Amino acid sequence: MTTVAGTLRSVVDTRASRGLWRDAFGRLLRNRPAMLGLFLIIVFLLGAILAPIVAPLGPFATYAGASLKPPSAEHLFGTDRLARDELARVLYGAQVSLYVGVVSVVMGFSIGAIIGALAGALGGIVDAVLMRIVDVLLSVPGILLAIGIVAWLDRGLLQIMLAVAVTNVPIFARLLRGSLLALREAEFVTAARSIGASPMRILMRHMLPNALTPLIVATTLALATAIIDVAGLGFLGLGPPDPRTAEWGTMLTDARSFLQRAPWLLLFPGIAISITAIGFNLLGDGLRESLDPRLKR
Amino acid sequence: MLKYIVRRLIAAIPVLFGLSIILFAFVHLLPGDPTRAILGQHATPEAVARIRETLGLDKSLFEQYVIYIGQLLHGDLGASVITGASVASDFIARFPGTVELTLFALIVAVGVGIPLGRLAGRHAQGVTDGAVTVISLLGISIPIFVLGLALQFVFGAQLHWLPTSGRIDPRLNIPSTTGFMLIDTLIAGRPEAFLDAIKHLILPAIALGSIPLAIITRITRASVLDVANEDYVRTARAKGLTERRVDDRHIMRNAWLPVVTVIGLQVGGLLAGAVITETIFAWTGVGAWVVEAIGDRDYFIIQSSILIFALIFLVVNLVVDILYAYLNPRIRYA
Amino acid sequence: MPLLEVRDLVIKFRTHQGTIHAVNGISFDVEPGERLGLVGESGCGKSVTNLAIMRLLPKPAGRIEGGTVEFDGMDLLRISESEMRDLRGKEIAMIFQDPMTSLNPVLSIEEQMVETIRAHRKVSPAEARKRAIELLDMVGIPKPETRLKAYPHQFSGGMRQRVMVAMALALEPKLMIADEPTTALDVTIQAQVLDLLRRLTTDGTTALILITHDLGVVAGMTERINVMYAGYIVEAAATGELFDRPSHPYTVGLLHSIPRLDEDRPEALIPIEGAPPDQRRAPVGCPFAPRCAWRLDRCWTDNPALVALVPGTRVISTGPQATHQIACHNPATPAEAEAGRPLRDGFKAAPMPGAIAEDLAAAGTPEALEAGVPAIASATAEGGDSE
Repeated sequence: MTTVAGTLRSVVDTRASRGLWRDAFGRLLRNRPAMLGLFLIIVFLLGAILAPIVAPLGPFATYAGASLKPPSAEHLFGTDRLARDELARVLYGAQVSLYVGVVSVVMGFSIGAIIGALAGALGGIVDAVLMRIVDVLLSVPGILLAIGIVAWLDRGLLQIMLAVAVTNVPIFARLLRGSLLALREAEFVTAARSIGASPMRILMRHMLPNALTPLIVATTLALATAIIDVAGLGFLGLGPPDPRTAEWGTMLTDARSFLQRAPWLLLFPGIAISITAIGFNLLGDGLRESLDPRLKR
Repeated sequence: MLKYIVRRLIAAIPVLFGLSIILFAFVHLLPGDPTRAILGQHATPEAVARIRETLGLDKSLFEQYVIYIGQLLHGDLGASVITGASVASDFIARFPGTVELTLFALIVAVGVGIPLGRLAGRHAQGVTDGAVTVISLLGISIPIFVLGLALQFVFGAQLHWLPTSGRIDPRLNIPSTTGFMLIDTLIAGRPEAFLDAIKHLILPAIALGSIPLAIITRITRASVLDVANEDYVRTARAKGLTERRVDDRHIMRNAWLPVVTVIGLQVGGLLAGAVITETIFAWTGVGAWVVEAIGDRDYFIIQSSILIFALIFLVVNLVVDILYAYLNPRIRYA
Repeated sequence: MPLLEVRDLVIKFRTHQGTIHAVNGISFDVEPGERLGLVGESGCGKSVTNLAIMRLLPKPAGRIEGGTVEFDGMDLLRISESEMRDLRGKEIAMIFQDPMTSLNPVLSIEEQMVETIRAHRKVSPAEARKRAIELLDMVGIPKPETRLKAYPHQFSGGMRQRVMVAMALALEPKLMIADEPTTALDVTIQAQVLDLLRRLTTDGTTALILITHDLGVVAGMTERINVMYAGYIVEAAATGELFDRPSHPYTVGLLHSIPRLDEDRPEALIPIEGAPPDQRRAPVGCPFAPRCAWRLDRCWTDNPALVALVPGTRVISTGPQATHQIACHNPATPAEAEAGRPLRDGFKAAPMPGAIAEDLAAAGTPEALEAGVPAIASATAEGGDSE
């Protein structure tokens, strides 16, 4: 291709590449928004991990007479309606979000990957049927699906995780299916085989890097939506069944009743959710940019 | 083109079919006896008998399904387990509220999102681009309930600029002719009420529209950037056309296309988000209704609402696909 | 008085990986009505030169950092953007390589042609439409009235390129630049499009710069040829003269790497070893040195200027009497050109001096891997068939 852009690319790419992954990793480290995202995620993780240390009394402890107090030296984030320390609840809430979020995405990934892989590998009727099921799941938008499932199965941590997992299934199913279809039909697979390269080598060297990138990106972004969806369910009253649980979404339901009197009840959990979501979104976007071998922009 | 439409319609049928099966199973796969599960504590013998009859529980599963489909096609969506009121009529009463909110949010998202994305695309890597990227990041990451509550706090509780609940000041007493508040106020000849209704729409529409706005902005920006690098844009410049012309006729005309598709998908997100938004802003629409129904375990409402939402979503996507096919000559004249 | 005078044009690209020296000070002229071929491989700067003439370099990466471009008496690099816009399409027109992507897919052919015409002439849409039909007819598109309403994807590749030619000639420009017009087309269609270009530029009203990497394409089409390498013009001559007496080692290499059915050559195709230079560094010495079998020691350090092949001849830059110019310290003799390799007794291409090898190794370029003589494949018969 002799367009100017093509010329640029062909000249620049003659440099010996030090391995696809190292290149990509280097690009990622230099991507500032992605690093900011990573930083925010680390803050989130630290919050979850350090909860027992920073708030040794736990999220259920009450402080007599200190109900709905604004932020102060003793209670950095203030207290809620039942005189519980808001900082403790936000930090323990991070634990819940982390746990539920990660498990949901892993479940959604697994179920979706299996469906997608089966559909892609077997083709034919299996493919058609499985993809119709995926389409049905897609026909009910996002959180409605989750709401429907939780309503159906009753409240419970497992049910919430399942509900959020199901909303992620279509994405991963399609990704896996797409990768497998590409695998089956790739021209260079035929070419490589014709010179005697084993399919395993082709798989590892060529297909895997190409297929992994969208998966990694999708997983990261799915974590962002999972955390938001879990909180959303909590907000609507479909959160963890134990009402004392410190979950960001349920905390916001309380905040709603006291919006004017105690705005800190909205501020801190709200910022917590937003920052976590921003972190995963930034990282996901950054991953997409740096893992994409085409140097666009 | 016609073939394309027909093909898409046909493809939509199995999806609806599958959905109806799942929703049917919804009620019948509940643990334990369906009637007990549905009615829970409202299990008076009359109610139990009524449910049994409606669902035809003594008949085979297949027959029950047929009955169910029959009821659907007749517009019989069942009745509220609590109030006994027809789901269909309640839905029709509350639906316009959701439509108004969703439409307004869509207008905000598209009306602000596309120009913003276009601006960012044109001045890529500059300060404007950076600002727009940040805004769209926040839009995607800040959940609707957080944003909604924050808006209520700032503009309602603190600044008192805008109302924070309901569709209109109840003291204005507007008769509900169409169910669409904006139209009803005009029919009643009350322009000040119209204004009031708009004021009530603003905060919820912004909260609901924040995510679609962010996404539309991003897609528009990416699309503009992609198209700007295409060969035919270079040809247009080589022909000596003004930048304005190149931008409008060559860049935007092509950049539109992916954005149209995305808008269709966003409608689904809007319907979903309406559930939360209506709850926060005490908006009398279908969304809040569904949430109450979930709390009350009012299964027929939940089941029918999901079915209808899915139907709407499918229809909207079908319309968007057709629109896309119309706008893209490569498909129109395939 | 030349129509186009390019002097010492320097073009650089700024990328994340550094600055690319795309064009390093080239000069050439084009007479009114003349047809010039610009030949070279990918990256040699031929397309970039012409984009620069039209001031269509991709911003902000591409920068013209030196030289002048005089067209019809105007310095194109100094005039305002709106004056340049005036010229584009009307006085200077360009057609591009890939007709599928070079036409707007959502606008009909009529819309695209009419807008070209009406951008530069105050005519009514109906008149513009009439002119468009004339043009389509001129380029050989059957039933032009009906085809106007069609969209680009409804045409075949060859037809699309004809449409591009029609649009380019719509306003009867003084100069038409064709950037690899046939590369994206099938071979049989290539011939048709080239035929068309030849036919439309024969009467001498429109000058043509034909850019290509294929010597075969320019052979029957142009009056003069400039051979470019790594941003320099390395050889310039009238077409016949260039094929008769190719003197620059690169040109020799090019000619020998083309498979030809009409000659009964016993030897194998001789590829030019090595890869194009890394243009991120400003060249030290002749850019072709690492791949040149004729190189002398001074070739590594001293970049030769473009001068007359026969020393002392007066340089005529355009027309059929144009002087044969070359940028080389050790041009190939006609016999060597015929054979494709140096024929002097005991001659070995000068090895890479240590200092330069280290320099290149430090920069991590592919040339560092090629220390020593790039052996041109021995010209002995291999199986006796030319393949």
